[in-house]
Amino acid sequence: MSGPPAKSIVTEAVLLCRALRETDITVTPAESVAAVRALRLIDLSDRLETFLSLRSVLTTRVEDFPVFEELFEEFWSRLGHRGQRRVKTVREAQSEINRRVPTRSHQHAPKGLGFFLKNWARTSGHSEHINAPSASDIESNTEKDFGQFASDELQEIARVARRIVRKLASRPSRRWKPVRRGTRVNLRRSLRASMRTGGELIELSFAQRKRKKTRLVVLCDVSGSMDLYSRLLIQFTYALQNSLARVETFVFSTSLKRISGYLKNRAYERALESLRETRGWSGGTLIGPSLAEFNSRWPELVDKKTIVIILSDGWDTGEAEELSGALTVLKRRARRLIWLNPLLGNPSYEPLTRGMRTALPYIDVFAPLHNLESLRALERHLVL
Amino acid sequence: MREEVRKIKELLEQQAYATDAAVATSVYLAMALGKPLLIEGPAGVGKTEIAKVLAGALGTELIRLQCYEGLDATTALYEWNYPRQLLHIKLQEATPGSTAEKEASIFSEPFLLKRPLLQAITQPVRSPVLLIDEVDRSDEEFEAFLLEVLSDFQVTIPEIGPIVATHRPHVVLTSNRSRELSDALRRRCLYLWIDYPSFDKELQIVRSKVPAIGEQLSSELTRVIQAARSLNLSKVPGVAETLDWAASLAALNATHLDAEVVNETMGCFLKDQEDLRKFEREAGSHLDEILSSGS
Repeated sequence: MSGPPAKSIVTEAVLLCRALRETDITVTPAESVAAVRALRLIDLSDRLETFLSLRSVLTTRVEDFPVFEELFEEFWSRLGHRGQRRVKTVREAQSEINRRVPTRSHQHAPKGLGFFLKNWARTSGHSEHINAPSASDIESNTEKDFGQFASDELQEIARVARRIVRKLASRPSRRWKPVRRGTRVNLRRSLRASMRTGGELIELSFAQRKRKKTRLVVLCDVSGSMDLYSRLLIQFTYALQNSLARVETFVFSTSLKRISGYLKNRAYERALESLRETRGWSGGTLIGPSLAEFNSRWPELVDKKTIVIILSDGWDTGEAEELSGALTVLKRRARRLIWLNPLLGNPSYEPLTRGMRTALPYIDVFAPLHNLESLRALERHLVL
Repeated sequence: MREEVRKIKELLEQQAYATDAAVATSVYLAMALGKPLLIEGPAGVGKTEIAKVLAGALGTELIRLQCYEGLDATTALYEWNYPRQLLHIKLQEATPGSTAEKEASIFSEPFLLKRPLLQAITQPVRSPVLLIDEVDRSDEEFEAFLLEVLSDFQVTIPEIGPIVATHRPHVVLTSNRSRELSDALRRRCLYLWIDYPSFDKELQIVRSKVPAIGEQLSSELTRVIQAARSLNLSKVPGVAETLDWAASLAALNATHLDAEVVNETMGCFLKDQEDLRKFEREAGSHLDEILSSGS
């Protein structure tokens, strides 16, 4: 069997790259060029070899494999190989390769403004009906008035929150930086300096470990289903906000609001006062769109030194696809993604809501947060 | 299949590495296109082994850079040999000469300690295999630095000047996905995903690496390992664990597996207390079933 004319395969390869680009898989021009170069180096009548070669060049992570496979199928049949589709060895190889591969969900549910409005309208009025199963061990004081608090309890929450932050933030880096006085001699600099004095070491340079600068971004769900925990959560976020210089706090339900300024450097009562003015608490939840909004409006807040903490029960009325899209971006940008879920406090709870199921693969730490005790447990067990 | 791919497959197999088309094709393309090969997959599936075997097959040197958090240029690229420099300065104290001359002499190549990356680009005879192991453990700054070195295989040492690779190394990077690598690095590499081997492939590996083990025992053992992998353990046994277990059983002169032998030796492939308990609970009870399945 001879390969098809070179020109058409180049065209088809470029089309394949474009098709990949239309999905989530980014293909740079350099990769397209490499793909065409690779095609010249291989046996084009061998389906498996062509498949493996292009996959090796054009994909960059195992999650891309299923989409690639689909599009390759089309590419191959367009080259006129319709007769030998699905060689047995390929399927075998694939079933082996894909056995453990985590796949992204590619649901194509309807979306758009109409869908958004419909869902928003449906949930915003009836949020009280959402049953929150982990109410067992929270105090009877479940009303929204989070102004009434025991001050020693608040202090305890603040203390634990600070310890958690310290654990998250103050890891000394393994890297060294030069300092004037330190514990370790920086030989390289010392020696350089000694050249000025004819090779006599007079001034020693020192080095010490750099400190890792950590930024914290807190995204707190304040929709109806979270009402039970709002008091605790607001205390927790208040404590987080004031524990570290670089903390940004946002609340979201159907949309997103930055509240760092309301919480920062104010007495708790005053912070609450200004928070009340912002209202918009309770109502439906659109986690995906809220996170997407965060990604697009505040991209500069998240980098590889940032720990993102999401406080939510995962009841999402938005689309799973949108949530996974937003989380993919967030996960790629952030150092760690921590999701604290109040419902997880209930032993019988399983993260089965669609939102939570979608989110789980992206989360580094998934832990309960429903009372002070869970907060203490988080501090004890938090391993990063 | 292209002749070259077949040849690579043969070469790898001569080194007792049970390979498949995906590995052979990626290795061939990485060499033909001159691109680094990024290998991902769960721990213990033989990612690192590919680089070792490749070096053996090509008859070239393997230079290994083990990554860890905090790895920086002085441990990856080069460092000056300070004790030697100091000694040299002392010895030269009496001789005439300007400071500049003395400085030039101690910042020259004899005083340079070559670390793996510099070693890899200064090989005099032929292209070595450069293995950058567990690149996900290094931090982002190092990744960016690595990107620079990998793009043109040239490094600049301020005191000496640029050093260009005489023979471009074959670069293999491995990652356990403990951290998401940057897209820029991923794009620069060819990508290969290696999963746990299938029953047949693993059996082949066991038989070639631990020839002392009998036919029956090797297939029973492989079946148990494959069953253990489906248990959702916290530390899934890799191929290395399979081989450890096979070697231990061979050393014990076992001929077949039964509940007692498995109980005594399962520490070879289960490295976690919880996992041991889980395995006992879920697989121990129907061990006979596992052992006889498929035969």
